[in-house]
Amino acid sequence: MMEDSDAVAVARARAGDQDAFGMLVERHSIRLFQLVYRMTGNEQDAEDVVQETFLRAYKQLNRFESRAGFGTWLHRIAANCSLDLLRKRKRQDEQVDAVELESEGPSSTLSSHAPPPDDQVFHLEVQQKIQAVMELLTPMERTAFVLRHFEGRSIDEIGRVLGTAPSATKQSIFRAVQKMRRALEPVLNATP
Amino acid sequence: MNHPNEAQLILYHYGEASDRNEIAEHLEVCESCRANYQALQRVLAAVETLPVPDRAESYGAEVWRQVRPQIAKPTGPHGSNFWAFFAWPRWALAGALGLLVLGAFLAGRFWPQPPTSSATAIVQAQPLSAGARERVLLTEIGDHLERSQLALIELINSKTNGAVDITAEQVLARELAAVNRLFRRAAADAGEPGLASVLEELELVLVEVANGPAKLSADEFAALRERIDTDGLLFKVKVLGARVRSRERDAARELAANRS
Repeated sequence: MMEDSDAVAVARARAGDQDAFGMLVERHSIRLFQLVYRMTGNEQDAEDVVQETFLRAYKQLNRFESRAGFGTWLHRIAANCSLDLLRKRKRQDEQVDAVELESEGPSSTLSSHAPPPDDQVFHLEVQQKIQAVMELLTPMERTAFVLRHFEGRSIDEIGRVLGTAPSATKQSIFRAVQKMRRALEPVLNATP
Repeated sequence: MNHPNEAQLILYHYGEASDRNEIAEHLEVCESCRANYQALQRVLAAVETLPVPDRAESYGAEVWRQVRPQIAKPTGPHGSNFWAFFAWPRWALAGALGLLVLGAFLAGRFWPQPPTSSATAIVQAQPLSAGARERVLLTEIGDHLERSQLALIELINSKTNGAVDITAEQVLARELAAVNRLFRRAAADAGEPGLASVLEELELVLVEVANGPAKLSADEFAALRERIDTDGLLFKVKVLGARVRSRERDAARELAANRS
């Protein structure tokens, strides 16, 4: 149903009706923000990327093929914009040292001899670990993982965003999940 | 079947395993693999708990308020109001200047220039009259367009021998895209869709070059070259650059006349 009304709005926007494009922006912004926030991990960056995505989408509206679904197409653009940003950030910032994350280990936070953790503290601990691993992932790994895990995109679709073959796309997902397991399993296993 | 490895279990979890039935049957009978798979599921379920900041229902409308001025063009998504830039009234140009001075300053970081010829140095050294600021603005835009034009020409004239390595062009494209973004936003904020439109077209290509593969096949390179040619981007950048230089000369003459 939404795809139908999206198609109508896209057709009107292509004909120069800006309000129709505005309707699409209003309809898809929140979902887009969720995707981009997961990819960038930063609220301000996510808001900027959402705007950038709509600007690119408007510019490329005539290249949109309706069989793809407007939401899917939009998410692909957003993933590309986020990937651009992550690559730029990677060049600018010092990468988090993987050894540092691993050296923290479960013993420095939650040892098996520690008293059972309070639920809230434990929950926070897990979230911090997840966030730390997300920041540790390479732009390719993070993009592949978010698109697969949170967005449910297929390996082929992710490959089209990343410009990679299926085998390389799978490798990015494997590495992301492996890093997540290494960091989280010790914490999760410490629960009573 | 043999014990599935971690990669197979990950694909199985995401419904992408080609041997899905075999893995399912194996997990039913193999306790260690089942435990391993449950551990994987537990980790991936925990990842789901990562929170995303809430956005109000009105968020979409807020985004549209931000985006709308930047796409406000009377001719739809592909109609470029290219020539409207040259109808800029003085007050509009002056209004854009405040933002573009920032762009000029940042541009200096990307292209170190001798202090004596740097527009940035002029900006920092002394308060400027409106005429002098206009000239600084035009100089910066003109320089940027000239560099971009050269970069595009170099790119489309790259030697092809089956495949093309554009590593060097990518470095330059990244720098140009960063500066271009400042100019584009400033132009859009100043309500100048014509200039913003050309800069946006330029930026899309620069970003595509910067973030695409460094080694292009002959077909990929031909597609990129065709896109630059088909959209007339190089021509627009060239003409816009020439017009800006002309305006810059006019501004310089006017400035000199006022001083005398």
